[in-house]
Amino acid sequence: MATQHAAREQRDSHRAQSDSGTATDPVMRGVQLVVGTVLLVRGLGQRSVSGTVTALGGAWLVSRGVGGPSGMKRALTGRNDGSSERGAERTAPPETDVHRSITVGQSAEDCYDAWRDPDTFSRVMGHVADVEAVDSDRSRWTVHGPYGQDASWETHVVESEPGELVRWETPTDAVLPNEGSVRFEAAPGDRGTLVTLSVSFDPPGGTLGDRALQQLDIVPEKLAGQALGRFKSLVETGEVPTLEKNPSTRGEGDTV
Amino acid sequence: MRALTWHGKHDIRVEDVPRPEIVNPNDAIIEVTATAICGSDLHLYHGRVPSMREGDVLGHEPMGEVVEVGSGVETLDVGDRVVVPFTISCGSCWFCQNDLYSLCDNSNPNAELAREVMGHSPAGLYGYSHMMGGYAGGQAEYLRVPYADVGPVKIESDLSDEQVLFLSDIFPTGHMAAENADIDEHDTVAVWGCGPVGQFAVQSADMLGADRVVAIDRVPERLAMARDHGGAETINYEEEDVYDRLMELTGDRGPDSCIDAVGTDAHGTGVVATSDRVKQRLNLEDDRPTVLREAIRCCRKGGTLSVPGVYVGRADNFPMGPLMNKGITVKTGQTHVQRYLGPLLDQIESGNIDPSFVVTHDAPLEDGPELYETFNDKEDDCIKVVLRP
Ligand SMILES: [Zn+2]
Ligand SMILES: [Zn+2]
Repeated sequence: MATQHAAREQRDSHRAQSDSGTATDPVMRGVQLVVGTVLLVRGLGQRSVSGTVTALGGAWLVSRGVGGPSGMKRALTGRNDGSSERGAERTAPPETDVHRSITVGQSAEDCYDAWRDPDTFSRVMGHVADVEAVDSDRSRWTVHGPYGQDASWETHVVESEPGELVRWETPTDAVLPNEGSVRFEAAPGDRGTLVTLSVSFDPPGGTLGDRALQQLDIVPEKLAGQALGRFKSLVETGEVPTLEKNPSTRGEGDTV
Repeated sequence: MRALTWHGKHDIRVEDVPRPEIVNPNDAIIEVTATAICGSDLHLYHGRVPSMREGDVLGHEPMGEVVEVGSGVETLDVGDRVVVPFTISCGSCWFCQNDLYSLCDNSNPNAELAREVMGHSPAGLYGYSHMMGGYAGGQAEYLRVPYADVGPVKIESDLSDEQVLFLSDIFPTGHMAAENADIDEHDTVAVWGCGPVGQFAVQSADMLGADRVVAIDRVPERLAMARDHGGAETINYEEEDVYDRLMELTGDRGPDSCIDAVGTDAHGTGVVATSDRVKQRLNLEDDRPTVLREAIRCCRKGGTLSVPGVYVGRADNFPMGPLMNKGITVKTGQTHVQRYLGPLLDQIESGNIDPSFVVTHDAPLEDGPELYETFNDKEDDCIKVVLRP
């Protein structure tokens, strides 16, 4: 634990020294930062508990790098990493792909109908963004930044086959350009429906957002896993398990 | 409301926290009338369970009166008297449908965290760390009970709280441990640990037809309880060698079934047990598998090892070779409490068992912090604490 901490601090201070503070269009960057920061906050929120697991449980998760508080500071100040070893990624930010499946104990038709229900998205994705149905094919996503800045974008369904799949895209100039699909097929062993969620997106905020996501290497996959878990719970039980209003000395509710 | 909260190793407090509210349609709120401290709460007290957060509300053995129900709840009404199982189970997923309630797919809001550590997430539990759901526990004045149609069992007879309270965990847990031990007539069953779960395992092993039950501990009062209430023969491991004594009792064959009702914080004696304690302190090892090692060594070839004791992570020097070469079957898991509520309540109502025999301390919730200490130190002949909020 102590060793791990020291190593992290060393790494962070090395990174801080190499920060150069480059800037592009300030308005766009501000919006991108909101998205990046929100993902960072979500990720760190999850990571703080993972960190506790690491600290108390030994070396379970040690192999995974943890982006410390300085990552957050860089996100908030908008400083970019100018170190040469990351130059290649700056010129060509990689697309991020997420792919996760879950077995839901209902028919493919029921799963499809639930996915197309305008209420479902806001309940399933509530931990990532507010999702509002604009019409039957379009949804407006809004993430709230820590200082009242909001960022939002729209997705529209471009393909849908009842009981089989739904595919969606964002306009290319969206803050978080992304495309995704969900497929429904018979689960192995006649145990309901295998629901597979695939999303690809350009990490928000260019290099900064890319790095935020890299530091939180598992976050997009974790967010997809959470979304699928919530979807499964909603379809199987009619509700999503929650720690909203959960009492503790810290107050009401737990963010993870 | 008042609640017992966790603040780190050996730091339990009684504090004011917000009162829980209905948040999902299948929730109920109960006003807690009695709530117990469990042996597995001592793993939290020792700081051995990962992903606890400062200020978490403890407790997973509560009962009380329903004071509010969500719009989806069908079987409970305000005013009902209920015992609440420690496992939170949705009742709808494949696992719940197959009576594997403690493996529920839907009840852990932090399932991704548990998945990362264990590969899959088991059911959410009350007051037992964020990896296991993060739900506030029942050592408090009020408790939010999710999936209220699935968990709580209604008590409609005039049985006292302490007669039915242990349906929440330790009675079903001891019972499932004995069931998992695959007991046939003529079998000898050895039970390590004479805490409350061990006591109920002794009783259930007898009920399930064991020829002989041998109980192992080091605390004289606990051994006496296993003798007096469970008709067990006993071994005090600080006075006799457990292996030698068990071989003597079984004609050198070993017990047919072994039950580890101790879990991760086993005391044990000797060099290896000391090494476990040191490694645990340095976070090189999560569990001290002293009892597992001894049980595998003692168990009859082809016998069964049943593990109700709670383990949290990895254990060193686990004797996989002996386990494999002796052809031992291992059965384990958190208790599928909902599976046993009806049958065991019947046993209590028909007078076959009165679980209140384990209670040694009955006190107001406010005394909780000092009773954790008393229970942990096994002072004052403490075996089971019931708290009244
Ligand atoms: Zn318990
Ligand atoms: Zn379930």
